[in-house]
Amino acid sequence: MHGLAPRPLAVCVVVAVAFGVGACGKQDKNVTVGLIVKRNTNPFWVTMKDTAEQTADDDNVKLLTAAGQSDIDNRSQVAALAKMTAEGAKGIMITPADSTAIVPAIQKARAAGVTVIALDTPTDPRSAVDALYATNNEQAGELIGRYAKARAAKLGIKPKIAMLDLAPGITSGELRHQGFLKGFGITQNDPQIVGSVNTLGETGRAEDGMRKLLQKDRGINVVYTVNEPAAFGAAQALKAAGRSDDSVILVSVDGGCDAVKNGVRPGVIDATVQQYPENMARLGVDALANTARGGPKPSGYKNTGIELITRDPVSGVSSKDVAFGVRNCWG
Amino acid sequence: MAGESFVQPQAAGAVSSRKKARLVHPGFAVPFVLLVFCFAAWGSAANLTDVLVGVFRHIFTMSNFESALVQFAYYGAYFSLAIPAAMINRRWGYKTGVLTGLGLATLGGLLFLPASKLLEFAPFLVALFVLAAGLSILETSANPFAIAMGPEESATQRLNLAQAFNPVGANIGVLLGAVLILPNLTPEPAKVIMTEQQLHDSQEHDLNLVLGPYLGIAAALALIWLMIALRGMSTPAERVQESETATGGVFGRLWANRHYRYGVVAQFFNVGAQVCVWSFTIQYALDVVGVSTDHAGWYLQASLLLFLVSRFVMTYLLGIFRPTLLLFLLGALGVGLALTAMFAQSMVGLIAVVAISLSLSLMFPTIYGVALQGLGADTKFGAAGLVMAILGGALMPPIQGKIMDQAGTATAFIVPAVGLAFVTLYALFDLRTRRNSGPLVTEGGH
Repeated sequence: MHGLAPRPLAVCVVVAVAFGVGACGKQDKNVTVGLIVKRNTNPFWVTMKDTAEQTADDDNVKLLTAAGQSDIDNRSQVAALAKMTAEGAKGIMITPADSTAIVPAIQKARAAGVTVIALDTPTDPRSAVDALYATNNEQAGELIGRYAKARAAKLGIKPKIAMLDLAPGITSGELRHQGFLKGFGITQNDPQIVGSVNTLGETGRAEDGMRKLLQKDRGINVVYTVNEPAAFGAAQALKAAGRSDDSVILVSVDGGCDAVKNGVRPGVIDATVQQYPENMARLGVDALANTARGGPKPSGYKNTGIELITRDPVSGVSSKDVAFGVRNCWG
Repeated sequence: MAGESFVQPQAAGAVSSRKKARLVHPGFAVPFVLLVFCFAAWGSAANLTDVLVGVFRHIFTMSNFESALVQFAYYGAYFSLAIPAAMINRRWGYKTGVLTGLGLATLGGLLFLPASKLLEFAPFLVALFVLAAGLSILETSANPFAIAMGPEESATQRLNLAQAFNPVGANIGVLLGAVLILPNLTPEPAKVIMTEQQLHDSQEHDLNLVLGPYLGIAAALALIWLMIALRGMSTPAERVQESETATGGVFGRLWANRHYRYGVVAQFFNVGAQVCVWSFTIQYALDVVGVSTDHAGWYLQASLLLFLVSRFVMTYLLGIFRPTLLLFLLGALGVGLALTAMFAQSMVGLIAVVAISLSLSLMFPTIYGVALQGLGADTKFGAAGLVMAILGGALMPPIQGKIMDQAGTATAFIVPAVGLAFVTLYALFDLRTRRNSGPLVTEGGH
């Protein structure tokens, strides 16, 4: 046998290169952080939790998690804050179920040396936490407002607008509403607005609300919805009224998988603004782990990004196609 | 070709001796083992390329058409180098052919290094072209080289054994992509909020992920090159391979043979459909169903495993049923599955995409055998034409990519549907046409 026998070193080099095994560097110090979401059944919070767990796993972080029983369960969140602090969490991310009522519990945790980041929903006051990582809801509303205006112009229709809102006093809904008006280039009292209804972001209420607005003016051809469940409710009412998808511009906010696949893809929803709970979670875990390891404390507001998803793009409004929406949807 | 390996047909003819022959000539055990590694190496590289189509779309934020140019470069090189490879073998012998192929493929793998530093798509296409050019020469040389390494009586056994490692390599190629590249890519939502500098850094990070497996393949190929180069090898059977000469008017005769002519067309569409399906399985999982990047690669892996298993099942069934009847049924099934993928834009559609591999498993060897049946002395040239039908793998994916950009990922599966429809029509043509009988030519390890 005259051939070269494969030497162990050569084999190691081949294996190392092929499998991307670099030098085994020192692993970061293990630290503990917490995540408290509103509840464990909503796909938005589930995506956030899953991403946080994956990021924690990658970053050698021990992640404590907790959730309330509903979107307004403040008591569970207060208890979770105290428990995580006692268990040695150096940082906690929280999606406040009650922006005001949670503040004293957060102050207690911060007094114990815990860094707190609010995800998705701001506290009231915002300064109650070290930082806020969230979607810019006004920007999201503005983007669909601009889209709706450009599409109406493209289709040559005279806008008659229905606005399906969240509820009075809820910041995210109000910001989206204001953003839409700004993007459409109108004010609250513009005669193009047929009317507004509060839906609590629920499909049934949105359907009822849309039906009432159609009774007021059957010619409604632009519909703003605060979220995608509301958009589906509006679509049902429009369908019941004999209106085709092509005759109405229906826009929304969220970017959940159900809405992108079954709303935007078939053209029921013309455009939606996709937000990214996974960015909130990933950035939150990274920032808290970094702080716990001696890095700087997170502060201020971090925009976690949005993209307009549509199958009918219009010039002048940046957007992504449905495939992008499906790839990056949550839920 | 992804998951396929081409072999000159005369190999299979020397098959049926009942006498127990040695697997290889004395002293050829180690060279044969090295050659087996070559079969695995090109399988790995070919199917890792299928993964790259989606990976480059992600890294360079490019259109599907542009990312499909990966396959254009890869299979274009395979097509372009088929004749030069044969000339090298004829002029200098199979060992030189194997070494040239290994050397060029190693160079191609190493070219990923500068390409990843330049952060541009074009250098990667050049690297892929060089890699595939080397693999084309390697494949063209390795098949007859394997035949020449032992007694004629055990040629098919030897070839089957060597080719069995091709799908093993193919699965390793996808595994490398599914484990080392896809799950570690920068998430798309993270890019939404990145600054220019952060985007640049993430691109560099992601391209380094691509670099690793290719450098690994290059290192392995270089090692095999050294081990073969340093061995003295004389292959007596090589002379036998050289002894055949073409007779005049062969092209005219082949062209006049409708079974052959349509067979080349069917093979073009078969290879094209196969490359299309495997190139865009991951994109279907991501774009249509919303499967996470971490898991999308596993559906391509499932396709290849299904392809591998059904190959064995089909080999058994071919002994029972008329080959073109099976080809017709599986072609029709493939069309149905591709249409399902188009219209059931859900997990059902993704399962249909994966299941297309079942129908693909039979096609290459069956078309090969049917088209060459009864060609006699023209078989060798006829085989070359069928192998060059690999051009379908270069041309059809960019068409599918273009349709994806215009009409969506699911709708674009009309391209493999059309390709598979042509294959089905070819089977129907054979079933409804009388022809002079002759032994069915088998395609090596398939």
